[in-house]
Amino acid sequence: MNNEIIKFTDVSIGYGKKRILENIYFSILENDFIGIVGPNGSGKTTLLKTLLGNLRPLAGEVTRNKVQFGYVPQRDLVQPLLPYSVRDVVMMGRYSLMGTMSNPHKADEEIVDRCLSHVGIEDLKNHNYNRLSGGQRQRTLIARALAVQPKILILDEPTNGMDTPSHYSLLELISHLHDESSLTVLIVSHLLTDVANIVKRLILLERNHFQIGNIEDILSEDNLQKTYSSDFSVSKINGEYLISSKKKV
Amino acid sequence: METIQQLIELFPYAILGSIVAGFICAFLGIFVISQRVVFLGASLTQVSIAGVAFSFLHLLNLEGFIAGIFNIDVEHNAFFHNFEPAFYSLAFAFICVLIFSQTYRQKYITQDGILGMIFVISIALRIIFIQKSPAAEVSEIEYILKGDILFIGQTQFIILLAATLLTVLVFVIFQKQLKFVTFDPETAMAHGINARFWLLIFYLFVGMGISLTTRFVGDVFVFAFLIIPSSIGILIGKKISQVFLVSVLIGAIIPPVSLYFAFIFDFSSGPTAVVLAFIIFIITFLSKKIFT
Repeated sequence: MNNEIIKFTDVSIGYGKKRILENIYFSILENDFIGIVGPNGSGKTTLLKTLLGNLRPLAGEVTRNKVQFGYVPQRDLVQPLLPYSVRDVVMMGRYSLMGTMSNPHKADEEIVDRCLSHVGIEDLKNHNYNRLSGGQRQRTLIARALAVQPKILILDEPTNGMDTPSHYSLLELISHLHDESSLTVLIVSHLLTDVANIVKRLILLERNHFQIGNIEDILSEDNLQKTYSSDFSVSKINGEYLISSKKKV
Repeated sequence: METIQQLIELFPYAILGSIVAGFICAFLGIFVISQRVVFLGASLTQVSIAGVAFSFLHLLNLEGFIAGIFNIDVEHNAFFHNFEPAFYSLAFAFICVLIFSQTYRQKYITQDGILGMIFVISIALRIIFIQKSPAAEVSEIEYILKGDILFIGQTQFIILLAATLLTVLVFVIFQKQLKFVTFDPETAMAHGINARFWLLIFYLFVGMGISLTTRFVGDVFVFAFLIIPSSIGILIGKKISQVFLVSVLIGAIIPPVSLYFAFIFDFSSGPTAVVLAFIIFIITFLSKKIFT
């Protein structure tokens, strides 16, 4: 049986006195692959921040099994003015593992090189992060998260604003990271189809409503109607889920 | 050559002090610009001046209190003679950065909005403090409030140098944490680095640097040297190390050169340094536009 890495027990999340979601119970297991989806304002980012420990729960208990997180933020939130190289950015992933006053060692350099090669951008090592394409930036941020040598990789809207080839090659990379390294992966996205086709379990959020389960249990037309207040049809073609809006005539 | 010799003889500490002030402003400016909190510089200069103005109210006799404890003759001790203005200037700046560093999580008001409020309230408080001050004429106090490069003496130079060395030392020793939290605080926190603490350290040093330099070289000089040399550095530098090198060199070289021009043409030293820095920025910007 897989071990629990993170456990939410009767947790309420929100800001100040404003509760966004209440009575949340769920666990993230070793080698899990979970997608978090929901409409804008449903609490995806708040849930993520609570999970990471950046935001305290308003009630309940979040138990973390001393895990190292590798976090990949939304790409648009990282817009440096300074000319950091790709290597500089990925090296930041090692900082939390070094002593407060110590500098990167050869072993850190080697790990950074390995992570760059893992995400397929070793040739961009000395390039300026600011001058990369959206897809290359996202891979740099994933490499930085991998440099932490995490137990759990958390990605916030990783495919936002990407062109189609980069979009699919990134989803492929995320799937590959999970399969190859048995890495626990948690992916937040508003693109339901993308997430449904790669993850094992799905968290569906709407305001004050929280559901978690296997894809086939969660991905019902009824559930989607409740979450998005709109009618969807869910079909499976060649093993891939296809979710489309039901047009009213 | 004769003018330079004259300048060195007349204002040795002004020359050295202007180099150090330009250096520290340019150094801190790189972080301020990269954090997109340029207006923090403008606000802190006004907060520091309000702190100095507050000292003229003489509500608490801090100098006398400390002198009593350590048995110091305040009148004949260069450091303690101006203790209160420097103390309140620093205290006001620290309070301001303490408040500001805790505001980045709230969603109700933008950071620009908060800084704007700090800016205007500081000016308003300065005016009120000066009006209620029992000392001298308003115009005279206004003059004292805003420092001048030419008035940098040995004590001011030593204070500036010590503050600069301490700042650089802290930023070098803790470069990993400061680099990460100024680059991406959310991920730094997720990876186990206390972003709130390190951002507070960052802002406290920015507050100290701006407060001290404003007191000694004036608000216009400080605000300009926080922005212009680091902007030139960002325009020219292709690597982080180059950005730092270009910024601090520009920051350190322009003030003594402008002292020379100010001396020859009988200009005010601070504004001359600002104009010279701006001319170099324009030349750099146009060169970059034309040649790249």
